Amino acid sequence: MGPSGSIPVSLFFTCLADAFSPGVCHATVEVLERFGATVRVPLSQTCCGQPAFNSGNRKEARAMARKFLRSFPDDGPIVTPSGSCAAMVKHGYPVLFRDEPRMLARARAVGERIYELSQFLVDVLGVTDPGSDFSGKVTYHDSCHLRRGLGVVEAPRKLLRAVPGVEFVEMEESDRCCGFGGVFSLKYPQISCRMTERKVERILATGASYVTSGDLGCLLNIGGLISRIGYPVKAIHLAEILAGGAGGGPPGAAADAKKGGG
Amino acid sequence: MELHANAFGRNARKALLDKSLQEALGRTTGRFLAHRDAAVAAFPEFEATRERASRIKGDVLDHLDTYLARFVEAAERRGAIVHVARDAPEAREIAARIARDEGVTLAVKSKSMASEEISFNEALQEAGVTVVESDLGEFIIQLAGEAPSHIIAPAVHKTRQEVSRLFERHLGEPRTDSIPELVGMARRHLRSKFLSAGMGVSGGNFLVADTGSVVLVTNEGNGRMGTILPRVHLAVVGIEKVIPRMADLPTFLRLLPRSASGQAISSYVSILTGTRSAGDPEGPERMHILLLDCGRSAILEGKYREILKCVRCAACLNVCPVYQSVGGHAYGWVYSGPIGAVLTPLLVGLPEAAALPDASTLCGACADVCPVKIPLPDFLLELRSDAREQGLKTPGEIAAMKGYAGVMKRAGLLEALERIAGVLGQFFTKGKGIAGLPYPLSGWTERRDFPAAAVQPFRKQWKIKRGVRR
Repeated sequence: MGPSGSIPVSLFFTCLADAFSPGVCHATVEVLERFGATVRVPLSQTCCGQPAFNSGNRKEARAMARKFLRSFPDDGPIVTPSGSCAAMVKHGYPVLFRDEPRMLARARAVGERIYELSQFLVDVLGVTDPGSDFSGKVTYHDSCHLRRGLGVVEAPRKLLRAVPGVEFVEMEESDRCCGFGGVFSLKYPQISCRMTERKVERILATGASYVTSGDLGCLLNIGGLISRIGYPVKAIHLAEILAGGAGGGPPGAAADAKKGGG
Repeated sequence: MELHANAFGRNARKALLDKSLQEALGRTTGRFLAHRDAAVAAFPEFEATRERASRIKGDVLDHLDTYLARFVEAAERRGAIVHVARDAPEAREIAARIARDEGVTLAVKSKSMASEEISFNEALQEAGVTVVESDLGEFIIQLAGEAPSHIIAPAVHKTRQEVSRLFERHLGEPRTDSIPELVGMARRHLRSKFLSAGMGVSGGNFLVADTGSVVLVTNEGNGRMGTILPRVHLAVVGIEKVIPRMADLPTFLRLLPRSASGQAISSYVSILTGTRSAGDPEGPERMHILLLDCGRSAILEGKYREILKCVRCAACLNVCPVYQSVGGHAYGWVYSGPIGAVLTPLLVGLPEAAALPDASTLCGACADVCPVKIPLPDFLLELRSDAREQGLKTPGEIAAMKGYAGVMKRAGLLEALERIAGVLGQFFTKGKGIAGLPYPLSGWTERRDFPAAAVQPFRKQWKIKRGVRR
């Protein structure tokens, strides 16, 4: 699909990508613009509150959710390069505001507008050819919240298969958790690490040069173990593959260099 | 059973280092899972059946009083004696009294998780009754003096070599690596117990309200032999196991074995209704049914009531990457895996088990496989929130959360901190991954690098690019 008029899209760039992988945010903008979106970046956004919500600290999560809802007041789709942040807004916010009817209605309305990047490209824009010049052997890790939380399974795979230079290979247990789990990785790091080791074994077994995913949290976790051991595989965000160009370094590094970032 | 749920972290670390446990866990959970997936794939009505089962259980929870009363009446009409225990001490007292009044000195018992909740064996032993576990897995762990580590495969943590060593030590059998030989040894040893026991003890997978039947779903035949041969049968069952009608049973029989072991149907399904009547070739002369409340009616009143839909298939254990990594004992009580992480705090009190709801990445695999559609991840989240409200979080965690939420209130403050982190990252690691961080991030950096912050966060880069002055 080519440019089809101008669709206004608000970018929810996520605090994690903001701080650690700005390249992922730039790549997301680049891909959205390629398919005719006019990308707005609300600069007052911070964090959706997921770490607080998932650890049971709902008071703090609620404060961040209010802030988020204020930051995205306009109509139109909100797109984010993170399955878990999108799932937080869609499914977590209604829980946070279940006793506040007015806020609940607002949360639900915003939840209707939010999409993870690959979901938006395939399901809304109908993209079949991402137009990326990325090349390499790639395997895909299903982020739990993208797959089970949002039900997005095929969209990222369709996009990857449509990149001419990408040799896509499925890993075994692609839908098995990588062990990140946010605060879990700090509370029970040894269990978390054991799960990450099993994930990395499956990745290595494919012989892929890149492992990609729709969630930066998973990629920082998987990439952290890969870089510690020095395995010959790179963790790279799906947005970066779709944007094209050579991948290198930690998620976001290639695009960061290109954009004069970190 | 003794409670060690809050030692989860320590016990999990130990389990991760236990090589034979790791080997046993990987093999068994993988096999259960593969069989379960194949059985579900070969059963196109699975989703519809699951939906129906969840609805039937929902109806039971809405009218538990009515169905229980109906069950008690029907069971007593068929000659059974029904007892209800509010809590574990009362249950132990009733069980000991039954054994004493029936003049029992030896009891054979088939698998029952509910009986573990009340430390049944200890209660009977104190009353002078020898209890012999007759399920193979339970028999093994009874010899080892251990607790079950899995709902349907209690000795899942044991390798065949360990079992052979136990049989050598306790039964005087020669060492062997052959599983059929090991099974033969257990069978020979148990046969005489079945023949001489005065009482057979069982759990119950379902209580059928309209017929008063106790239904046992088993694979080894010990459940049937133990409930039919001895003069007395005692069934120990949680009150939530009641289903309205015999006509509802097939729905559950289609789901339970498929979810548990991947079988289309278990080797045995025993429908035990009342005592032996004149002309019956077999069956107990006396039947006691001990119904356990033990915290269940309190759960029924609250926001977690759906947890009482559980049929104890253990599919959520097998699929859970945390359970697969650490096994059942780490959870420190009767129930393990995702169901244990929710049910244990509800049955024993959250302060005694607050470590368990944290023992999950919230990956959601458990909810995907649950045959009665219990929203386990939602319940884990809810319990974590309860922990905060009940003052069970560490001051460190609360302070960290407050600080983090404070920063996130203002984009400008977040950006300033991100830029400081970026400068520090450049200074210390030249933008590469960080190999060592202080607590609470030290656990992460033990075996993984932590990402360095970008020199300029995206927000700043975007402002420069688009010429935003702020």
